[in-house]
Amino acid sequence: MTHEPKQPNTYTVDRGRGRERGGQGLAAGLGVVMRHFRDAFTRRLDNPAKTSGVFTVQYPEERTPLPEASRSMPILLYEDTSGHELCTSCYQCQRICPPQVIHITQAKDPATGKPVPAVAEFLLEYDACMSCGLCAEVCPFDAIKMDHDFELSTDKRDPMTVNRADLLRPVSYYAGLAPGHWADVKDGALKKLQGAVRRRSGSIGIAPYRAAQLAVVDAPPAEAAAEVAEPAGMDDKAARLAAIRARNAAKQSAEAAAEVAEPAGMDDKAARLAAIRARNAAKRQADEDGGA
Amino acid sequence: MLQTQELQINIGPQHPSTHGVFRMQVTLDGETVVDLKPVFGYLHRNHEQIAEVSTYIQSMPYTDRLDYFNSMTSNYGLALAVEQLAGIEVPQRANYIRALMSELTRILNHATAIGFILNDMGAWQTALAFSMREREKILDLFEMASGARMMCNYFRFGGVVRDLPPEFMPQLKDLMQGLPGFFDEFERLLRDNEILLGRAVNVGILPPEIAASYSVSGPVLRASGIAYDIRTADPYGAYSELDFDIPLGEVGDVYDRILVRFEEMRQSYRMINQIIERLPDTTGGHINPAMASIGRQKALRPPAGEIYARVESPKGELGFYLISDGSTRPYRYKVRAPSFINLTPLGDMCRGHALADVVVILGSIDIVMGEVDR
Amino acid sequence: MTPLLQPILGGVVPEWLVIVLSHLAVTALVLLGAAVMMMLAVWAERRIIARMQDRLGPNRVGPAGLLQSIADGVKMFVKEDIVPRAADRWIHILAPIVALAPVAMMLAVIPWGRGLVAVDLDVGVLYVAAVSSISGVGLLMAGWGSSNRFALLGAMRAVAQLVSYEIPMIIAILGMVLLSGGMSLARMPELQGGLPIVGTTLAGVPDLGLGWFVFTPVGLLGFAIFFICVLAEGERTPFDIPEADSEIIAGYMTEYSGMKFAVFYLAQYILNLALAMVTAVLFLGGWQGPGIAWLAANGLDIPAAVLSLIYMLLKVWLLFFVMVLLRGAFPRLRVDQLLSFAWKFLLPLALVNVGSIAIWIALTNWSAAQWGGVLNLDMLAAWQRQLLAVAVTAVINIAAYRWVLAINQPQQPETPDELIGAAQAS
Repeated sequence: MTHEPKQPNTYTVDRGRGRERGGQGLAAGLGVVMRHFRDAFTRRLDNPAKTSGVFTVQYPEERTPLPEASRSMPILLYEDTSGHELCTSCYQCQRICPPQVIHITQAKDPATGKPVPAVAEFLLEYDACMSCGLCAEVCPFDAIKMDHDFELSTDKRDPMTVNRADLLRPVSYYAGLAPGHWADVKDGALKKLQGAVRRRSGSIGIAPYRAAQLAVVDAPPAEAAAEVAEPAGMDDKAARLAAIRARNAAKQSAEAAAEVAEPAGMDDKAARLAAIRARNAAKRQADEDGGA
Repeated sequence: MLQTQELQINIGPQHPSTHGVFRMQVTLDGETVVDLKPVFGYLHRNHEQIAEVSTYIQSMPYTDRLDYFNSMTSNYGLALAVEQLAGIEVPQRANYIRALMSELTRILNHATAIGFILNDMGAWQTALAFSMREREKILDLFEMASGARMMCNYFRFGGVVRDLPPEFMPQLKDLMQGLPGFFDEFERLLRDNEILLGRAVNVGILPPEIAASYSVSGPVLRASGIAYDIRTADPYGAYSELDFDIPLGEVGDVYDRILVRFEEMRQSYRMINQIIERLPDTTGGHINPAMASIGRQKALRPPAGEIYARVESPKGELGFYLISDGSTRPYRYKVRAPSFINLTPLGDMCRGHALADVVVILGSIDIVMGEVDR
Repeated sequence: MTPLLQPILGGVVPEWLVIVLSHLAVTALVLLGAAVMMMLAVWAERRIIARMQDRLGPNRVGPAGLLQSIADGVKMFVKEDIVPRAADRWIHILAPIVALAPVAMMLAVIPWGRGLVAVDLDVGVLYVAAVSSISGVGLLMAGWGSSNRFALLGAMRAVAQLVSYEIPMIIAILGMVLLSGGMSLARMPELQGGLPIVGTTLAGVPDLGLGWFVFTPVGLLGFAIFFICVLAEGERTPFDIPEADSEIIAGYMTEYSGMKFAVFYLAQYILNLALAMVTAVLFLGGWQGPGIAWLAANGLDIPAAVLSLIYMLLKVWLLFFVMVLLRGAFPRLRVDQLLSFAWKFLLPLALVNVGSIAIWIALTNWSAAQWGGVLNLDMLAAWQRQLLAVAVTAVINIAAYRWVLAINQPQQPETPDELIGAAQAS
């Protein structure tokens, strides 16, 4: 990291000594201002190469598109069709958060009382969050991402502490905001989710929160979420229907597989594998149905 | 004879042109400043202490809030210090991206600094509006790369958080196409303006020896005629490979400070052109692969030792002094803030001038209170 | 107005009441017109400056934001009326009124159009100069009564500025009084008919109403001096030093809020418009313009009046646009530079201009007997004498401008050592 200091090339600024000052500079300034006055009536400054023309974006009606990397506040993701949350309560975000505004309560298995990789409550203090994006960067499961919705202004303090239900957004929502960024991590994230679902299908947080989300529409910060969620909720119903159908189909095929497997004397593992495969096939079928 | 009395005035902490919550206790004889005492600390946010109880990467977003106009160079200072402390290599491409961001920052800072000086002189926002327009375009680029306009949090130890997105370069080239026109027009608006000359020439002279004895840095020092720029005095990153000149003032008054900023913008423009040309041929990625995962950044334990690393922020020498005890948190963390140190000779510069000059001299130092009070 | 109301109210109310009512009606019309113009001026200023800065400006309240001033006014009305505890209560409250009243009084003698003048005073010019200087008392009251150091500084600056600029301003007016041979503002436009430069001296050419004083060298210099003084008098950039927001918050208005602030604001804008009207009347021909003489000659008095009102307003708004343009482009001067500009630059020029006007009059009007045999111009036609006067005064005025510029060039110390020496000596 050490470099040889180089001899700087220097030059002295031109102070314009000896130039006559009889108002020429004032006239030049007036000319510049008049040019802008004229251009503001005839052109819009819509390209960074231009240096004159109306630059105003009339905000509520006109909006500049946000780049993919844009970050306002953190949100949590869940998988669209099954409603599985991607968060596993690993506490990485809580640990790295510089202003320490993330508070996670890990879910416990009701039967055994042991902690499970799911989140019971996820509190985020939006009013103290500084949108640095470190939580989204650190999350190994890509469960926490930065939203693009910056219109969070409110005159109340309570809604600025946001809970899990209000933080949850479907994966498709984020994929719509940042398609490129999501495409980079999509496979890994969904694979990890499927792994988690496979290991502990009962304990990963799912759909009830979406129902709750639809119910809680009056909480101000949730409004934006509700707007997004509502249309999603419409085809959600269809999706849920498809999911139920898929599960039934999977159950049937699993039974069928078990029936086939038993006489063949195959072990449990193979049967489960077959069941998963069948279920995936059924889901694909269901997705196609839903898509149609 | 009439009895006259000296008048004590508090300019600030709430005042239109103190650039934040800054207070000047001014003693006036009529309109002439007899004495001036700067008072600051109203925006103290405990940055150094917070950094000492945080991991190294956790301090990165806080450096954005030091000089909130130039978060990129503030990031650079911390990243450079930690890299030197922990011995992390930075790939060439990352160095070029860093230099690109620093020079864009310099353009936006100098443009707005001149705009604010004009506002302090009483121009009705026009110069500032022009510079804010250009700043807006640069901030769009920053948002594209880092995700945020002002609080970029773009630098990581060993590189930058992500590579430039594909749409970045075309837009940068568009911007570069417009910049020379902006510089010319901005100078035509201001450089020979007789009123500006009257307000700026021979106002707030800071002689070179006094500037050096106060350890002033940045454009203020160079306007006093001392060729001291960290980019050549202690080159870091890509600067040893870039070609640029250092503009110097000859008198050290407000007018020289404005002119030096004009010229530095043009030099930054020159550097960005070189970077655009060479960036495709650079080696390495946007970050050192060993540090690419955020987990490495988080668990970084530099060996015990101390380091003072500095960058040329648009305001001057921005230094970070770190002592590591081998743990994940710095034992000591100190920021040498250029705004703060450049502010100390304010009283000397203002004595004997009119009250109206005080705000102009303050504007020509170009302070950001977030950095002064930390 | 009395002849208008007499037939309507003649039989119903006594005659003295008719006269009182007609005067009230005229006053109301003039004040209402001024208030509407002020609101338009505020809106126009904001929109124009916004365009100069690549913005759009206020465009939300009403069509194109036209009602923005009304919204601002409503806001001012509902704000709390604050009198600081340490303030001199009555002086504090009276100050905005003292500032506004003389400005409103100025409007009385200004001819808005052909035959549209509220009061035709023989000493109209003197009256305007005298009345406009009263508002300085209001500003001093505001600064003193507020018991605020920024306000006091602002008031001191305001008074210093008004007093210094009154002198070149009045000398510039003096030249015009010499040229027109009278002090009536209402008569001024009548003298500015004819063609540019030659005025009415050319016989047999239709009266285009373009013989404005500004087209002559003496009038041009007088106009420049007078307009700069108007900027200073009306506290416009680059002379808005008394309320320099970046230095002394809002100067004498620092402690004012709500309606009292609004009254100051109103006074300032009406003063600007009134001074623009005086400038237009003195130098830009007032309501004169092509077509008015023809209409009047054909007995169409009402169309002539309407057209002349339009001409007058056009000129006033043009001058106001220049004021806005200057505000958009320039920073402000320092108070000592302002004073030295008035005393070292404007005052010599104004005095030279009075001299050249005297020469002008001698060249155009004096007979050989008056010249006492030094010069005999009697054989020249009127337009030839006019052109001769134009040439002579142009030479004098340009030379005077160069000379004043030369003695006012800043003498910069050349080397840093000299500068440091100068800085230490001061």
